[in-house]
Amino acid sequence: MITYIARRMVTAVFMLLAIAFVTIALFFGASKDPARAMCGKPCPAETKEKVSAYMQTDQSVVWQYGQFVKGLVAGRTYGEGRQQVHCDAPCFGYSFPNRSDVTSLITERLPVTLSLAAGAAVLCLVVGIGLGALSAIRRGGLVDRFSTGFAMFGLSVPTFLVGLLVVQVFGFMLNALPYSGFVSFSESPADWAWHLIGPWMVLSFILAAGYIRVTRTQLLNELSAEHLVAMTARGASPRQVNRHAVRGVMVPVVAMFALDVTALLGGSVIAEKVFSLHGLGDLLLSGVNESDLSIVVGVTLFSAFLIIVGNLIADLLMPLLDPRIRRA
Amino acid sequence: MPDPVLQVEDLSISFTSGGVSADVVRDLSVTLDGGRTLAVVGESGSGKTITGRAIMQLLPQAASARGRIVVAGREMLSADERELRRARGSDVAMVFQDSMSALSPYLDIGAHIAQAVRLHDRSVSRRAARLRAVEMLERVGIPEPADAVRRFPHEFSGGMRQRAVIAMALVNRPALLIADEPTTALDVTVQAQILALLRELQQEFGMAMLLISHDFGVVASAADDVLVLYAGREAEYGSLRDIFEHPAHPYTAGLRGATPRLDARLDSNGERTRLRAIPGAPTSLRDAGAGCAFAPRCALADRVGERCVVEVPLPTLRTASTDGGVHRAACHLDRLPTLEEVAR
Repeated sequence: MITYIARRMVTAVFMLLAIAFVTIALFFGASKDPARAMCGKPCPAETKEKVSAYMQTDQSVVWQYGQFVKGLVAGRTYGEGRQQVHCDAPCFGYSFPNRSDVTSLITERLPVTLSLAAGAAVLCLVVGIGLGALSAIRRGGLVDRFSTGFAMFGLSVPTFLVGLLVVQVFGFMLNALPYSGFVSFSESPADWAWHLIGPWMVLSFILAAGYIRVTRTQLLNELSAEHLVAMTARGASPRQVNRHAVRGVMVPVVAMFALDVTALLGGSVIAEKVFSLHGLGDLLLSGVNESDLSIVVGVTLFSAFLIIVGNLIADLLMPLLDPRIRRA
Repeated sequence: MPDPVLQVEDLSISFTSGGVSADVVRDLSVTLDGGRTLAVVGESGSGKTITGRAIMQLLPQAASARGRIVVAGREMLSADERELRRARGSDVAMVFQDSMSALSPYLDIGAHIAQAVRLHDRSVSRRAARLRAVEMLERVGIPEPADAVRRFPHEFSGGMRQRAVIAMALVNRPALLIADEPTTALDVTVQAQILALLRELQQEFGMAMLLISHDFGVVASAADDVLVLYAGREAEYGSLRDIFEHPAHPYTAGLRGATPRLDARLDSNGERTRLRAIPGAPTSLRDAGAGCAFAPRCALADRVGERCVVEVPLPTLRTASTDGGVHRAACHLDRLPTLEEVAR
């Protein structure tokens, strides 16, 4: 088991290094010169060159990548003399527009994203599994028809539309919920939750759709399974039988959840933008807008890392839930 | 004479769907004593499986049963949920056709058997129940039972799984075992082993067995008595010998003719007799109207005439029982014509 985890982690490191290279290559292939944004206006060619050299963006992609990897291991220093900036190992890059290293930018934004992800995850699980189970138990009933429509809507409507609708309806028309801003949990838990209800609703609405469908299908399969009839034939009560049926539902739900929650932790760009929340998604977007390579690479790698960890956790959990996927 | 282990009287089972109800089993009556095996035969849709499930009250929600079913002195149709739970797995147990789907993929073999034990006796500890599982697996011929209890169903071969299912069914020594096509999903050599095992355990435990099958070969090697179902009704009932050697219903005779036999004699041309298929397809239950359900497929219906089409034949006693047992057939013909008579 430990060798398995170790092997997966080693693979993950190589995967992350590959992702970093692709991100850097793509950035230079598609972006305007990062130095232009920093050199101010007017920007004579001579100054721009200096700035470019200072930011170390005047070199080749391969060199950039080498510096990035070196920064991870040994830290990285930009410029010299009074203008010298040092970024300690592990250095994910330095953001010149923000005058800060990327690691602290990410940790700064993390609480917002974490709050957003946690609430949305809980809400979408409760709504998704709850509605899915109810519609399976009363198949063809009112709840079933409602939740099928609900799920179809959730799967097909884009996040920004739901977000804007929630802001419009609850924020402006009903004036019931705040439509922007963030209060930290340590400051006031009540205000924290109050400000996040809107974004939670939006994200969980989109996410719950999948859980409704998976729970419903899986529970219907389980409920008609012969092994549950056999369990009744052994003398089990309906309660015991139903409890056993839940086992089968857990497997795909856990797999889905592991991926969803890590995707959420990587930042939800659209929801954060709509509700003016300064989380990781917002950070990534600002990095793209300001041609800030370090931020783009840093946040991308962080998201990728979370997804890899999420996959690993799912892969470790699934065999515990379903012996059929245990490795011999 | 002790009371029979299983008593079924005037059992009818109907399915309701969209306000329309159809009878899948009609007026079935049968008794079964301890230590004996009754085979229920018929083609798909004849009501074999649903009858077995009705005895354990495992009918799907859309189905309802009328009549009377008594298992080991317990009225099953009027029993409440608690009583049914006590009976299931203890007085009456079931062996399913497909051992893979009958076992939970999430539990190991030992957990299945231990669960059967503990559902009926809470005083048994988990450890003791698992020990019982090991004993039981050994009894049904699974090698290295102490290791096998920790295996999961998907790690077993089909034959081993069916042995485990039998162990699970018999761990509480039921008075009645319902074996629903227990060998259909197995290959032929394993079939024989499983049938032999069932026979052996039946002798040992003195239980009654209801063997549901469509395979006359299986029936011939395991049954004492045979009940032939056609379209949910009793076509013929009798001892194995009566049914095989003196069938009194054209359907039974047809099934016999459609069964391959290793000892088939060669005909006058020195060739093996060809298997004869029963023409037509089973009668749809919805189309079942007045008259004998088998009449449209029956080669002998012309001999009787209109009566086959207008009057449902009821099971009546036949005099020509070879071994003095009960022999009933639901046919308007008093006896089947011999081959020579048919040829004439």
